[in-house]
Amino acid sequence: MRKAVITASFTVCLVAIATGQTKPTNYKGLEITPLGIERAKNVALIDCPPGQNSVRGNARGEEEFVVVNAAFKVTPAFDAKTIVKKPVLTDSAGKTYNTSVSIIDAGSLPEYKCGFPFRVPLGTKVASISIDTATINIASLDK
Amino acid sequence: MEIDRRAFIASLGGTAAVSLMESEAKADALEHWMEEQLDEQVAANQGQREKFPTVAEIEAQIETRNYRRGAGSLFVSGRGNVKKLTPMPKNPTLKDFFELRFAPANHVLQSATRAMKTGMSEEVILACLLHDCVLNLIKPDHGWWGAQLFEPYIPEKSTFAIRYHQTLRFYPDSDAGYEYPDQYFRIFGEDYKPPAHIEATYKMLKNHKWYMEPRLVTVNDLYAFDPNAKVSIDPFTDIIGRHFKQPKEGLGNDNSPSAHMWRTLANPDQPL
Repeated sequence: MRKAVITASFTVCLVAIATGQTKPTNYKGLEITPLGIERAKNVALIDCPPGQNSVRGNARGEEEFVVVNAAFKVTPAFDAKTIVKKPVLTDSAGKTYNTSVSIIDAGSLPEYKCGFPFRVPLGTKVASISIDTATINIASLDK
Repeated sequence: MEIDRRAFIASLGGTAAVSLMESEAKADALEHWMEEQLDEQVAANQGQREKFPTVAEIEAQIETRNYRRGAGSLFVSGRGNVKKLTPMPKNPTLKDFFELRFAPANHVLQSATRAMKTGMSEEVILACLLHDCVLNLIKPDHGWWGAQLFEPYIPEKSTFAIRYHQTLRFYPDSDAGYEYPDQYFRIFGEDYKPPAHIEATYKMLKNHKWYMEPRLVTVNDLYAFDPNAKVSIDPFTDIIGRHFKQPKEGLGNDNSPSAHMWRTLANPDQPL
């Protein structure tokens, strides 16, 4: 059973990497579609699904934020009790970065869009974003 | 200009707070709020970065006020005169203080709600719930004052988290999900450097086994400024029951090392 789960997770991961970009990736019934990448020194800090938090974060000196925008669609297969892990960004050199944004109550709305800021050294080239076992290639969105 | 009625009322502390304001104070508040919104919209439309004050500019404002910035919220009214407070019950509980002295307490309730929804420990949830309550009493060094206020009643880890969240708020930590907030540019100045004792405390914390306790308070702190959030203390009743040692005599009447602080919160109009 455990082997089957690991194999399935690995398969999801590989499929996501292979299909990549704008096609939705299905993670436990949550369809995730990357929409684009922005770069900024000052970004809104709003959890996902988004509320109205008024605080913004700042990058100083030789750092900037890479903001990965993504669309989420909740399918009937998604268990509303699922705790969805925070996304992790991987750059072209394989280094990983965390975001301060959390995905909270992922099943509370049928569809929504979120932005995930990652503080990186200026000019960092991004490769992919991962949410738990789902990895999505976003290199082509980094223009 | 379109007025977001809910956001405006929330910015004043909710409908209960607004109902206590005089008409003139409400008009002043509305005008001030509209000016701020307009400035934000203009800046956003022009793609401008907000201009933050410098430390020197903030210091230059000191003699423009008839109060010190560090005075607790119970002692200063930003808009109009202060109001007569509802007396505390004979044996006041933490919940009584939340309802009668800390209200609306929206920020700490949002902070604790986020900690709960993201599966954090009960000690951290409690620390989030209590971390800024002491701002009603005093603002400078609020981490230390807050820890002292609650120390006789809560777990050591929660006290630690409250005391040191003040320090960690000045230091970003991407791994833990904490970014430097722009509101600190506004209230301390864009070129602000934390004083030596804060730097030394940060160095101590970086290697401390409980580093993540105060760090998680700062992480939730960032995301707890939503004017439209609907929050209540009710979801925390069980955690308070398990971790807050409520004295039977009531807070302020129990002769604890911080009982005098609770009495001051209960009776802020006492002249001596």
